[in-house]
Amino acid sequence: MLAAKHAYPRRWPESTKRGTGPDKILPPPVADSSLLSQQGVVIMAEFPISFTLEYPYTRTLGPVIGPFLTALRDGRILGIRCGDRVLCPPMEFDPDTGETLRPDLVEVGPSGTVENWTWVAEPSRKHPFQEPFAFAQVKLDGADTTMTHAVKAVGQAAMSTGMRVRAQFREERTGSIGDVYFVPEDDARDQSIAPGEGEVEISTHLISLTYDDTLYPHAARYAQGLLDGKFIGQRISGDKIAIPGKGYDALARVMLTEADDVELATTGTVLSYTVLTPVKYRGQTETEPYLSATIILDGAGQSLTQQDIRNIPLDEFRVGMRLRAIFKPAAERRVDDVDNDWMYPSIGDVVERWEPTGEPDVALDELPESM
Amino acid sequence: MAEDIAIVAFAQTPCYRKYNDSEPSMILGLVNQIVEEVEIDRHEIDFTIAGSCDYLTGRAFAFIANVDGYGAWPPVYESHVEMDGAWALFEAFVRLQMGDIDSALIVSSGKSSPGAPREIFPLQTDPYVGAPLGLDPVSVAGLQARALLDSGKATERDFAEVVSRSRRDGLSNPFAQVAKDVSVDTLLKEPYYCSPLRKHDLPPISDGASAMLIARGKRARELCERPVWIRGIDHRIESHHLGLRDLTDSPSTRIAARNLGLDAGSLDVAELCVRYSPEEIVLRQALALGDGTRINPSGGPLCGHPVMTSGLTRVGEVARRIRNGEAARGLGHATSGPALQQNLLCVLEGDA
Repeated sequence: MLAAKHAYPRRWPESTKRGTGPDKILPPPVADSSLLSQQGVVIMAEFPISFTLEYPYTRTLGPVIGPFLTALRDGRILGIRCGDRVLCPPMEFDPDTGETLRPDLVEVGPSGTVENWTWVAEPSRKHPFQEPFAFAQVKLDGADTTMTHAVKAVGQAAMSTGMRVRAQFREERTGSIGDVYFVPEDDARDQSIAPGEGEVEISTHLISLTYDDTLYPHAARYAQGLLDGKFIGQRISGDKIAIPGKGYDALARVMLTEADDVELATTGTVLSYTVLTPVKYRGQTETEPYLSATIILDGAGQSLTQQDIRNIPLDEFRVGMRLRAIFKPAAERRVDDVDNDWMYPSIGDVVERWEPTGEPDVALDELPESM
Repeated sequence: MAEDIAIVAFAQTPCYRKYNDSEPSMILGLVNQIVEEVEIDRHEIDFTIAGSCDYLTGRAFAFIANVDGYGAWPPVYESHVEMDGAWALFEAFVRLQMGDIDSALIVSSGKSSPGAPREIFPLQTDPYVGAPLGLDPVSVAGLQARALLDSGKATERDFAEVVSRSRRDGLSNPFAQVAKDVSVDTLLKEPYYCSPLRKHDLPPISDGASAMLIARGKRARELCERPVWIRGIDHRIESHHLGLRDLTDSPSTRIAARNLGLDAGSLDVAELCVRYSPEEIVLRQALALGDGTRINPSGGPLCGHPVMTSGLTRVGEVARRIRNGEAARGLGHATSGPALQQNLLCVLEGDA
């Protein structure tokens, strides 16, 4: 076991005065009323990381939403009959009973009444307008339920519950809910909308989210090591060295600190490899077969995977071969893809090549173990 | 009749604006704390279940990395819900009813700091008519607030009173992120953010985690001196279409309360998952809470809101107060979705 000083507090902390409960590993809470600001705990931002997560969703629309979005593209708004009510936006099912509704669609609007609203002073990047606007629950003429949508008005003072609004259709319409928005009735202009061709049967929605973080302290030290031409691991249970470390030891169940960092050798042994033969696909830049090797650094308990080998002929490469990392000149080393996510670790772009040391190979039954 | 199941330990991290280390590291510390407190071997925990959301940090399979936090060696029997940890508690409670295992560890964690919650959470709404508009929970909370004002069920001063009291109560909560003694009149001078809401009516963006150990009757008494009994737990959900809901009421909460046979008058304390100040007013009315019930003595999510943990932490806060004798009977509440779309109630009681 590593030193107990890294462990978290033993006792269920009592509710006492501020700052006395948590262990000092966790910085104390900060009184701060500016809620959405970046104020709070001061963090080191030596290695900011930013990435965008994208999922392009394609959905079939079915017998109700399909015609609804087709109509929006064509400048009309549809509701669905449900008993003696008209629901807008339309649903496939009776919300009270779950019964499938016959797709008996009726035109509603284009004007309606604002039943409820909120003024969005600071729109998000995902909102229909990038200047202040209202989200409102609009009960369209002929409908019995409200549609939640955007109202473009000159300001909050122009909004009130009970006000009349009218649909306006965007110049470019794709058969999506964003084809329409609302304005106060007095601001509405007449539009001549040419219907599009065919039915809208598919919706596409690109989910695109950007995340901004910083490398955690142990990952920052690892990245700094790579920039300095060093492999920095962390000592964990069983006297093994993890590279990269996780900042904690999952087996001993303790947090690790800088004192647990270990500089590893730049030499290692090939544990495994594969020959990649490029096939043509969009974006493919490789043309010749090349090696991707798993290499375990001397002293490490964990291998480095997917190390490209370009300088050693394919037929001369062997498991057990001894290699040395030759680092790029300091100015050319990059750690852009070093991340907090240890499930797919990277050594960045710091190694120029893995060069044979000329030492005898390690026998197959003497290869070091890798976690 | 459900078998008696009790909370035997609970632990939470402080709420941070940004916790500059990994989610598993938070969980690891809390699980260690619980294991040491009840003096058992981690391998004696029969079942583990976590609640978290990969979208918060934008990491596919982040919940797998979190397994490190509660330890997968020797192999553990575990499950996960992409929901607040309170729903993990619900699943654990149901799982223990089967009678073949005695204890369950519930873990919840969330880090909202790397992402933009206002851009992520529209993905909870209808994918055809809600999500493409970026319809976010703050805006929907604004709609709920306006509906309360227009119906005469609340005033802007009522919202500010919830905030003022909660943030003041947060001063005595060592885990609070935002705590301040600020008057209602001062709050009402702030500009609108999503009118009629002001920024202070919103929860802070937080990172944090919490964990809980529950056990069946006999085992619970072995593990701790003062088990806190789960007398009932239930959750209900409403439509994803705002137009089909009465935003001034919470019928799902009322149904859950009825199913539990909840006697609001018997509650000494209620920790409600009030993310936006108007939600407290809706919940108080739906639950018919009276003056005899202390609401959110921890300050609640308005003082720190690590998404996916706030609900479990509400239950844990009630358990803590029953355990230390401040209360005999209490209610923990969790919520999910915009404007209290889904609600979970958990009634807790100490030994008589």
